[in-house]
Amino acid sequence: MSDDYKPVLRAGSDPVAFFRYPGAGEGAAYSRGHVMAAAMSRHLRDGELVFMGANSLIPMAATRLAQLTHAPNLTLMAGASGGVNTLLDPLAPSSGDYANLVAEAVLPFPDVLMLLTGGRADVFFAGGLQIDRRGNVNLAYIGPATKPRLRGPGSAAIPWAQRAKRIILYTTSHDRRVFVPKVSFVSLPGWPEGGKTEAGGKPGLVVTPLAVMDFTSGGEMRLQSVHPGATLEEVRENTGFDLVMPPGEIPTTPEPTTEEMQLMRQFDLDGLLTIVVQ
Amino acid sequence: MTDQPTNAEISSEPPTRTSKVMTPEEAVSTLIPERSASLWVGGMHMHNVPMALVRECVRQGKRFETLYAGPSYSLAAELLIGAGLVDRIICAYIGFEHLGLAPTFRRVVESGAQKPQIVDVEAGSLTMALQAGAWDQPFVALPPGVENTSLPKASPDYYKQVSDPFTRRKYLAVEAIRPSVALVHCQQADEYGNGLFKGSPFHDQLLAMAADTVLMQVEAVIDNNQILKYPAQTAIPAFRTTAVVPVTFGCHPTSSHRYYNYDDVHLRLYLKAAATQQGFEDYLRTYVLSIVDQEEYMRRVQNQEWIGEI
Repeated sequence: MSDDYKPVLRAGSDPVAFFRYPGAGEGAAYSRGHVMAAAMSRHLRDGELVFMGANSLIPMAATRLAQLTHAPNLTLMAGASGGVNTLLDPLAPSSGDYANLVAEAVLPFPDVLMLLTGGRADVFFAGGLQIDRRGNVNLAYIGPATKPRLRGPGSAAIPWAQRAKRIILYTTSHDRRVFVPKVSFVSLPGWPEGGKTEAGGKPGLVVTPLAVMDFTSGGEMRLQSVHPGATLEEVRENTGFDLVMPPGEIPTTPEPTTEEMQLMRQFDLDGLLTIVVQ
Repeated sequence: MTDQPTNAEISSEPPTRTSKVMTPEEAVSTLIPERSASLWVGGMHMHNVPMALVRECVRQGKRFETLYAGPSYSLAAELLIGAGLVDRIICAYIGFEHLGLAPTFRRVVESGAQKPQIVDVEAGSLTMALQAGAWDQPFVALPPGVENTSLPKASPDYYKQVSDPFTRRKYLAVEAIRPSVALVHCQQADEYGNGLFKGSPFHDQLLAMAADTVLMQVEAVIDNNQILKYPAQTAIPAFRTTAVVPVTFGCHPTSSHRYYNYDDVHLRLYLKAAATQQGFEDYLRTYVLSIVDQEEYMRRVQNQEWIGEI
């Protein structure tokens, strides 16, 4: 560090050194967080420009993993920090973290938004309070506007995910509170009803702690694969609508390979991927 | 020739440039009126938020008709909302990212309170509006996209439809924003207000260009010679800075890039406390209202940690 670096408040508050979270790195060889990251990673292509918003631990790991495996020319825009091609040295839980500035460039946030709304992004990772069968996402509130049952944070930048060519949805909790038949507020539009067409990128993939979903040509969410260790019943019980089933036997999401696990452990020094899915 | 100073007017001593260094108490009491039209606080999520200035505004009971809560607010919005100091929030994001939702914001809005009025927006138009404000453009037309969401219907006074005079196509537009007061954090500045970032600049350079009054909280005051040595580092030039407010650990419990990380122990303590109205009031009294200065604040933060009541 440079001479202007000051003593820190307490262990764990050092701007670049993190502490190991309790329980991290123990137990099974891989966790749901690793399965999700590896699954997302395989859907990213070489040369793409990938954006993500707040709370993007898994997408960030997935994007870096893609760079280190099959997509060396992919560009990672590390959310709020403005970091471009951040090295995840190490992977940090908050998108605006100083650790994400171990990178090739640091853009002011207005420029990050400009590049997104300007239509430069290939992929945007989006999450929300609610996700419905058409892939609509809600980050604003649940219930009536004047007295909502649950007030969420607000739509942030996710309405602009439409400006990306592809959208990947994700959540760290696959349950009936998240997967609802119809969202109460559309922060990010999914596939329109009744064969209507609408300009803008649409969700192509949904990655959860239990499964990977995609969409039919009619815009209905369809099960693609169930993660190792999870069951079809579990997926059905925790989804608030009927998923379209793929023909034949339901595939199992591939386990992360030994190489993928090695790479993820190298940048995830704090074992965050182990604990990100409770 | 009459415009030239006479020999008698040129003193042998060079004139003294005015220092803008102030304490938080001084800056907030002298530069922010009791009631301002609007406030925009810099930083993002739990990073680079000038919390010492926010706490001082709350302590002095400064009121703001509109709070621009974007691109992403956390504790600053919580304290201002919980203390009842804002009438209306133009809201893109208020939350604690991986740590959870904003408990006070939730409690107030979910109770059906009329005040503050919440106007749901997104971070893109808010940024374009701020930029338009800096340029003194009247409004800004948005790229397509937001019309497919619930936002225009939810916030009809914020989003208006305009017709492109060139193509006749319809677009959404938002009015330009010039915040009356901006609170920003620079890691370092000289005493005149030339401020620089040691990490991410977030929105704060643009914010300083657009706002009427800019209070700049810093970790360290550096010499003007250092500014002159690396002028390209200066993100906010002195003439945009109204006051320089040095406060060590002033962003706590949010981070100051390169100086310290966010204090997730304290943030979790806040989230737990603010789960109830009584808990929020206790927090506000302990860490804001009864605090005389930053040293006292940090002492209480440290004491809480040793007690381990989390």
